[in-house]
Amino acid sequence: MKRAPSLFFYLPAGLVFSVFFWLPLAGLLLESFRPFTPGRVGAVTDAPLTLANYEELLTPSFLEFFTQTLRISLFASLVGLVFSFTLAYWITRRMSPRGRAIAIGFFVSLMFLSVLVRTYALELTFGAAGPFRAMLLSVGIYPNSRGYIEILVAAGLLHYIVPLATLTLLTTIQNVDPRLFDAAQTLGAPGWRAHLSITLPLSRDGLLAAFLFSFAFSISAFVIPMILGKGRVLFVSNLIYNRFSEIADFPSGAAISVVLFAVSITIVYVTTRYVNRREAV
Amino acid sequence: MGRKIDDLFSGLGRIMNGFIVCFLAVPLIVTAVMAFDARSYLGPLPPPALSTRWFSKFFSDDYFLRGLGVSLELALITVCFSVCIGVITAVALARSNSRARELMTTLFLSPLIVPPVVTGFAILIFLSKLGVVNGFARLLCGHLIITIPYTIRATLNGVLGIDKSLTEAALTLGARERHAFWDITFPLARTGIICGGIFAFVVSLDDVAISIMLTDAKTYTLPVALVSSMRANFDLTLAAVSVLLMGLTLALILVLEKTVGLNQVIGQGTFR
Repeated sequence: MKRAPSLFFYLPAGLVFSVFFWLPLAGLLLESFRPFTPGRVGAVTDAPLTLANYEELLTPSFLEFFTQTLRISLFASLVGLVFSFTLAYWITRRMSPRGRAIAIGFFVSLMFLSVLVRTYALELTFGAAGPFRAMLLSVGIYPNSRGYIEILVAAGLLHYIVPLATLTLLTTIQNVDPRLFDAAQTLGAPGWRAHLSITLPLSRDGLLAAFLFSFAFSISAFVIPMILGKGRVLFVSNLIYNRFSEIADFPSGAAISVVLFAVSITIVYVTTRYVNRREAV
Repeated sequence: MGRKIDDLFSGLGRIMNGFIVCFLAVPLIVTAVMAFDARSYLGPLPPPALSTRWFSKFFSDDYFLRGLGVSLELALITVCFSVCIGVITAVALARSNSRARELMTTLFLSPLIVPPVVTGFAILIFLSKLGVVNGFARLLCGHLIITIPYTIRATLNGVLGIDKSLTEAALTLGARERHAFWDITFPLARTGIICGGIFAFVVSLDDVAISIMLTDAKTYTLPVALVSSMRANFDLTLAAVSVLLMGLTLALILVLEKTVGLNQVIGQGTFR
């Protein structure tokens, strides 16, 4: 029984990833330390290294983009978590098997539906020219106000977060033994307290994983803020794209990319560590 | 007292769930209705007359059709490469010891946690330094990187789920390793492979963040074309495209349900 060496099998993927992913990422890091020459696409190859592109990011106008991205993402992830948990609980414990199958089909279909289509649908329905315009105006909400646009961007994120987080949490809730909840109720705890001391703590890892995924998705979102934000709410991703498309400032775009990359990786790392540590205990 | 609070919470939960389902479904329904709107401007619902003018407009628009052509060609080529590479890598991962497997899996799934815009921008800078200006080649590179993690993960789930003793039995009975792979491993891993392929197709067809960086003047994907015309003007051709894409999604879901079963896609818990 001679086994072919595994290394050989790693070759195709290893090659593709080295050339089109890891090397480009290394190049991006290098580019971020190069000075920007106006009118030139990409930095001069042997230009001296500089920190100027990062210093620029510390100005208040740039920090504003980061805080805005984090603020809206955090809001959408937390709201999404509450929505998804109630939905997942309802589907697992309150629905008939048939209803459950329909609900799961609905969420899986949504998950596969193009983000672009959903974003367009939200803009068409709730945007400034949509069918609800008169209704919004009558309750004193201006569809072009900044607050409304921010909520619309969060709604766009939620449209993606809720189906995926609900599907993730279904498994989590299915793994919580319903007999524990019944026992708590039999012993006299009202339903809300039984949930607070049984269902929620036992779902903690699933909730954390869902939150991590939602937050990481949100801060790197691109199309959703681009279309629903209408240029007034910009996420960090949009800023990177603008650096490239409007002024072709590659070094600055690279520096912003490196920061966004670092933030995403940190979030993933911290949460995975936290979940693993809890599992080990 | 406790009872009353419970009823209140349960009622609130019900209302909230109804609200979320509406929030998820209503925009899609509105878009589907507006796609058949006969008016040439955005007016209040429901439309006074229905027509398929937006669909015919889409199918006579060269700009969109070109994007659609590129998107489909790109998605199909991407899926072929991505599935092949995914299967080979998943086999390698399944054979490695658990430590090496963990490390390599993290490495190969890393594109999933890097923001797509960053990946696109990195590839753009790298390929322009190398002098690769062909739009299709650049798009293919980008799409491979974002789809391979899905095919690796789906195939690996399929391969790891196979009882090892089946392969061992085949080998004991005198099958060569190659035969054991094609006769035992491959058929049993098929659901995982199909799942991965469908994921890769959907991801490739829907991507904007990476494609928008790597297109050239003549080679652009449908989503990129849609985004740029969305920013220019708001006409209902886009609603018609959305309806077509919704139809495509439903078709894919049906294929998935028939071949794999939706429960397989999302996994199952213990206490249902």
